[in-house]
Amino acid sequence: MRFRHSLLAKYLLIIMVALIIWPFVLPAYFIPSYLLDKDFPQKAQYMDTNKLKKMWHHEAAKLGGFSSEKVDQKLHTLKEQYPLASMFWVDGAGKTKLVLSEQKNIPAQWTLENSIEFMNQSDEDPVTFVSYIGEKQSNGFMVFQIPPSITKLPTLSLIDDKLLALYAFLVFGLFLFVSWLFFFKIRKRLIHLQTAMTETKENGIPEKIAINKKDEISELGKAFNHMIDELIKSRQYEKEEEGLRKQLIANISHDLRTPLTAIRGHAYTLQKEPLSSKGKDSLHLIENKVDLLSHLLENLLSYTLLSAGKYTLQSKETDIIRFIRESMAGWYPVFEKEGFKVDVNLPEKAIIWNIDPHWFMRILDNLYQNVMRHAKSGRYIGVQIVDYEGETAILIEDRGPGLDVTTDKKGAGIGLSIVSLMLQEMQFGWKIMSSPKGTQIYLYEKKENPELNKI
Amino acid sequence: MKNNLLYIEDDKEIGAWVSDDLSERGYHVIWLTSGDGALDCMEEIDLVILDIMLPGLDGFSIGQRLKKHYPMTPILMLSARTSIDDKLQGLHFADDYVTKPFHPDELAARVEVLLRRFGKISPPLIQLSHLSIYLDQNRIIDTRSNNEIALTGKQFQIFTYLLRHPNQILTKEQIFEAVWGYPYIAGDKTLMVHIRHLREKIEENPSNPQIIETIRGIGYRVKQ
Repeated sequence: MRFRHSLLAKYLLIIMVALIIWPFVLPAYFIPSYLLDKDFPQKAQYMDTNKLKKMWHHEAAKLGGFSSEKVDQKLHTLKEQYPLASMFWVDGAGKTKLVLSEQKNIPAQWTLENSIEFMNQSDEDPVTFVSYIGEKQSNGFMVFQIPPSITKLPTLSLIDDKLLALYAFLVFGLFLFVSWLFFFKIRKRLIHLQTAMTETKENGIPEKIAINKKDEISELGKAFNHMIDELIKSRQYEKEEEGLRKQLIANISHDLRTPLTAIRGHAYTLQKEPLSSKGKDSLHLIENKVDLLSHLLENLLSYTLLSAGKYTLQSKETDIIRFIRESMAGWYPVFEKEGFKVDVNLPEKAIIWNIDPHWFMRILDNLYQNVMRHAKSGRYIGVQIVDYEGETAILIEDRGPGLDVTTDKKGAGIGLSIVSLMLQEMQFGWKIMSSPKGTQIYLYEKKENPELNKI
Repeated sequence: MKNNLLYIEDDKEIGAWVSDDLSERGYHVIWLTSGDGALDCMEEIDLVILDIMLPGLDGFSIGQRLKKHYPMTPILMLSARTSIDDKLQGLHFADDYVTKPFHPDELAARVEVLLRRFGKISPPLIQLSHLSIYLDQNRIIDTRSNNEIALTGKQFQIFTYLLRHPNQILTKEQIFEAVWGYPYIAGDKTLMVHIRHLREKIEENPSNPQIIETIRGIGYRVKQ
């Protein structure tokens, strides 16, 4: 980033401009009155008294040896030039000659006394210059008087000049406004940046920011964009890895299932051959084991994927009653074939739960399979909606020997682990009650934890 | 009339066994070990059984291609790929998905259901206890009196829907939505009323129905 693009440079520029224009602020205030007020140049010539004094001496010196008429004439011209001044002159004998003044008290004959009196009497103390004509006492002298009020420079009192006060206020206000604008813009951009960083797209990553300046904030934006790029890259990498893993597991599954299918096929073909009852029993066992192995494989692979978080949950509002009914419609023939009494008791109204249908189907399948495998002796499965500790719950019930009894059909462990993992992910609770008379499994939607919501 | 099945499977052992078994069950099976040439013989095929992992084009691509050209021919995926993702991808175009290892009876049953559903076999006559049903002619005859039983439109639709899904339990939501064509609202009694009237017409003893079986809490089933 170059210094001239930086915010610091910009702010320094504002300060510099303010400092530089400050000396011009006051003169600028008088420019309009100088231009608009036609008398102003007139008035301005009285302000520099030194200059006036010099002028007066100079004019007096030049008049040395001139006749009275000449002096009169000269005074008239000067009067025209300085109309606000009073002028008179006195000859060498002390006699007052031409008086160009409204003053009444100018003595006709100058003596020491009336000179002093003249000097004392004016109450306003006019600015007075006295010059000897031709620089000689004998020639007499000439007097130039102006009221002190007009020699004064314009006042700069904010109290006296309301317009000036307003002007100063405006100039200062302008500076404040420009500063405020500067910081307001910075603030706006920072807030914009913050919003852009917080709001995420559907992939959970914020959108990139458009950058059209070259200052510090834009640099921050660039760094942010860079970070987004990195994030997207790593997400992509993660996805690829996930894909590879899923692919690997799918391939392993496929490669194990293909020979299983062949075994199943041969067993089936063998069944059609004439066999001893012992042979038939063996064959039946082979078929059962093929089934068991297939389920185990399925569960093992699901568990691997699930525990690695490689299954994505896609919950949606689902009528659980309808869902149970449809899943049971698929399982009914299986239970029926084994001589189970199937007792489905569901209410006639929809109950909406937020579930991932595929996951939930998997959960129910695993639970039914467990009943099928471990509770065959009970010949009973019941599915109903009950109230469990104040929650609406699905109850799946069997009359088997209970889960604690070890059977030769192992593999319940992983099936139930999958159920447990999936329910946990979906924020569902479950409870198993097992006794030698049967097992009851309750599934219920967890109420959102109010403690968690507080944080 | 034999139904023609196209079976695409690269595993020789499984392929030989399944095509033998299906031939024994009375189907004419064409077995290919890859998707090559599948499209050429589709004209006279009634149903396709398709593996996924195949040399060359995979089963998903083949299936999609076949379905595009022959949308009225049912496709059954038969695969050792069991993940949810695979099933979902398969069921985008396929009509059923069976995972290996499978029982041949199950496969045969699913093939039968699909053929029935797509009208590839319409048995001229279904004999159900005292009823003779001619589905293609929309006629139901009571064999005891040889009288035709007249059903209303909805009753007939419900009955044929059940007949086309033999031995399958259908929930009342499924039946209602198939017949009425809009979503079932929980608690709606319309379907129950229609089934009661239907039973009054076709059952010998409507209070103890034998033809349309009630599966308590789940739905209805017609065994054939």
